[in-house]
Order: sequence, then structure tokens, then C-alpha cells
Amino acid sequence: MRKPAKFTRLDAILLLLTALGALALGYRIKVGLHYQWNWSAIPQYLFHLDPATGRWAPNLLMQGLFTTIRLSAWATVLATVIGTLAAFFRISSSLFKRMLGRTFVELIRNTPPLVLIFIFYFFVSDQIMPILAIDQLVKTASPGTRQVLTWLLAPPEQLPAFLSATVTVAMFEAAYITEIVRAGIQSIDRGQFEAAAALGFSRTQQMWYVILPQALQRILPPLAGQFISTIKDSAIVSVISIQELTFQGMELMAATHLIFECWITITALYLILTLTLSLAVSRLEQLLRRGLT
Amino acid sequence: MPSDSGAILPPKVSAGSDFGRNRARADSRRVALDLTKFFLVVAAVAGLLAVGTERLGYHWQWYRMPRYLVRIGDGGWRPGPLLDGVLITFKISGLSLILCFSFGLVAALFRLSHSYLARLLARLYVELIRNTPLLVQIFFIYFVLGPVLGITRFTSAVLALSLFEGAYAAEIFRAGILSIPRGQWEAARSLGLSTYKCYRAVILPQAVRHVLPPLTSQAISLVKDSALVSTIAIYDLTMQGQAIIAETFLTFEVWFTVAAIYLIITVILSILVNVMENRLRVTG
Repeated sequence: MRKPAKFTRLDAILLLLTALGALALGYRIKVGLHYQWNWSAIPQYLFHLDPATGRWAPNLLMQGLFTTIRLSAWATVLATVIGTLAAFFRISSSLFKRMLGRTFVELIRNTPPLVLIFIFYFFVSDQIMPILAIDQLVKTASPGTRQVLTWLLAPPEQLPAFLSATVTVAMFEAAYITEIVRAGIQSIDRGQFEAAAALGFSRTQQMWYVILPQALQRILPPLAGQFISTIKDSAIVSVISIQELTFQGMELMAATHLIFECWITITALYLILTLTLSLAVSRLEQLLRRGLT
Repeated sequence: MPSDSGAILPPKVSAGSDFGRNRARADSRRVALDLTKFFLVVAAVAGLLAVGTERLGYHWQWYRMPRYLVRIGDGGWRPGPLLDGVLITFKISGLSLILCFSFGLVAALFRLSHSYLARLLARLYVELIRNTPLLVQIFFIYFVLGPVLGITRFTSAVLALSLFEGAYAAEIFRAGILSIPRGQWEAARSLGLSTYKCYRAVILPQAVRHVLPPLTSQAISLVKDSALVSTIAIYDLTMQGQAIIAETFLTFEVWFTVAAIYLIITVILSILVNVMENRLRVTG
């Protein structure tokens, strides 16, 4: 029951207020702060002409953006695996497994991500990474492998930190994905279980051949939405010096003092990224819905 | 529950029969076993963590923690830095909560209004906030709007948090208002009430029942998200934790304590949500 929009008295008041607000802001920036805008300095931090190769290459901000995307993508993949396992625990018939699953989800969802990141990161980077000896592995790798690693994950010198951050982000996104997967499986009509059981399928076969294919259609859209959330949440890892978009923004601000331009650009970059993905998700939803009918 | 639907359902038996009593006893034994297993696993994980980190050169010094919670001097006890931080966290969350409700309600009413510009502004606000990270918003408000508007660190933090949560609250309010049956609008209109009076006397009082539980969930998110204001050096619980670690290197003890405090706050709020959901359940 959407009412048609029209021009009302409220519009006039709002127009006046926004215009006045914009004027006041502009006045404050120009006269109060004597701020010198310098937008022409920003593009070189997106892409620059690499003097070594003579080709255009992504600079600080774009590198940060790519790191954000890579980090979020790997974290989502890892979180989906952990989350699916935890979801099976959550819906298990054994009370023991259900309690384990529930504890995992509640513990993570009730603590601030920032605190979790500090705990996990210190734990993973201080205690687990030395055991895995990623450093050694990367140092002894061939140039080709290093190239691939750089492209898929992060430059070799940043690899241990990148992996720690990915695991950290994945751990807390997993708690949210657990609930998505659980809801997806539980939304399947119980008759499907009974029909599969009547055909003599074992519990694993029921899940694998009957339930999961149906649940997947319902899980995919919220899962894609969670990927967008991960991109936004991944901004937090800038506090543990992972060189993603927010961190690069801080660096650039410190180096150039182009405070306003910097943060407007960073915000715009995030906005472009998430809005594009939202559009893709709604397309995906449409496709899936069409597939169902 | 689909969890047990794979198996053929057992025949329903009355609790009074012998069979039923045996079953009940077997069930309670299984529950006890599962509980024991659960606590064993939790203890094993905690033990592994303690022993494992000790072996890798971390010295657990829990006995040094209490003084950061409570200082006991000659004149009774005073709150330690961590409890000071909790107070700041509460203060920021409380102020932001009130502000976020106002932002949310105004944005929701704007989105439901006839006015073209009001809808556009509300839509822009919600989309802009929901599609950028909170951390970037905090930095934006602190570094950009802060100097422009001449507001302090603390105000920036409250403003950033309330703007952020307000966008989510707006959707909650909107859903709550839309869930009121159309007939209520028509009835109020036919009594000759103006739009303002419709909302004030008829729609909003009914919508409150629908929006209170999700708004309380939003308050939980707010407490959790308020941890991010530590990045602009506001001495809330998280920042106090960082400061203590910088001083004492009690990394794990401090972070576990901080996490536990947050957990206590959010779990209490969650229980409140459950109680409220049961109390306010709209019947019929």
C-alpha cells in the first residue's frame, strides 16, 4: 500500500533546512577551518604509473580495496565450512552436540567483534602461526608460487598476518553463518525427511541428496548478504595493522593530511563495493526464485 | 524439530505406564551423560589452552587481575580501571540508545510519509549507513565532522554510534508501523484525527509492542559496537583493556576478563529480550 509521493509542506521545510545546513557546513569548512581542498592529489593513490615497468598499477587505496576483497572472500569461504559444521551440531539429535554448537554461537555473538579479534589474533599469530611455520614455507617457495600466493592471498611478507586475520574474521562470521545454515535446513518441510527415510536413505544420505540441495537455494541469498557484512566487518582488522582499505586510509591521512578527501574517498569506495554486491545479491535472489517456480 | 524426524517416531506413551517411566529414566540418564561430556570438553579446551600457551612461553598471572577491577584502599573500595571503562561504555551506549531511537523514528516516519524529499532523505540515510563499515563512519565523524562542527571526541562517538544504530532502528520502526492493520488507520481517520494524532494516539502505541523486542536486540548490538569507539581513544572498557595490556602484558587475562564483562552485559540484555517477547506477544 505504497502512497504516491508528492510535494508537500514538509518538502519545503526540509529543502530549506538541507540547503541551510549545506551552506553552514560549507561556510564552516571554508571560513572557519580555512580548509584547502585538493582533490587532484587523490587519483594517484588509486592508480599510479609504475616507474619500474612503465605500466599503470594499483596504488595504496586500490591495493587496500583488493586486500579487503581477498580477506573477506577467503574468510567467508572458511566461515561457511566452519558454520556448516556448527549448524549440523546445532540441529543434531544429541544434546551434547547441540550444547557445543549453541555455546560457540552464543559466545561469539555476545562479545564485541573487536575484542574477539584481539583475542583470536594474539592467539593465532603468536601461538599457532609459529607452529605452522608459514614464514619458512613462503621463503623457500619458488618465485612462481610466490606470484600465485601474492595474487590469491597477500604479498609474502604480509602472508602470516593476512592468514591470521582471515582465520580471525572467519571465526566470528562462522557464528552468524551457523544460524543461516541452520535456519535453511530447518525451513525444509519435515515431510521431506520422512519421505527420504521411507525410501530407506540413511541420515547422511537424507541430508546430502534430499535436504541440502533444497536448503541451498534458501541459504545462498543470506549467505551472500553475510559476505557483504564481512566486507564491512573486515574494516575492524585495520586495528591489528592488516593493510586493508581502512588501514590504508589512516596511513594516507597521516602522510598527506588530506583528511576530508581521504575519508570521503574511503567511504565512497566501500559504498561502491557493497552497493554493487547488493545489486548482485538481489539478482541472485531473482534467479533462484525463478528457478524454483 | 527436524533433528529427530529422520527416525521413525516412537509411539506416544502415557507417563504413568511402566514403559513410559523407564523411558523417562533412560532419557534423564542420557541428558546427564551429555551434560557431563559437554563440561568435560569445555574443561579440556580450557586446559589445553592454558597448558599450550604456558609451554609456548606465556605466563598466566590471573592473581594480578582483581586490582584492575576493584581497588581496595583505606577508604573502602573504588572501581578499578576496568569498571571505570564499563561505566563509560554504559554512558556512551545509553546516550546513543536514546538518540538512535529518535533518529530511527524520524527516519521511519519520513520513509512512510507522502513527502518526496523526506522519503529520499530517509532512504539516503539508511542506505549510506548500512552500506559502510561502522569503523569508517566513526573515523569520518571524528576526523571530518568533528573539526567542522567543533564537537568533542565523546560527542563524535555518541553521534557515530547513534547514527549507525538509528539506520537499523528505522527499519524496525518501519516494520512495526506497517504491521498495524490498515483498518486502524481507516478507523482513526474516520474519527477525524489528523496524521499526527493518528500516529500519536492510535498507531504508535500499538506498534510499541511489535518494536520493543527487536529494539532491545538493537541495544545489545549497540553495547557490542560501542567497543569500536576505543579506536578514537575513548576510555571505554575495550580501551581500558588495551591500556592495561600495554602496561602489564597480561594479554590473555585482560582480554578474557573484558570479553566476560561484555558477555555478562549482553546475556542479561538477551534474557530481558526473551522476557519481553513473552510478555508482549501479540495475541489474536
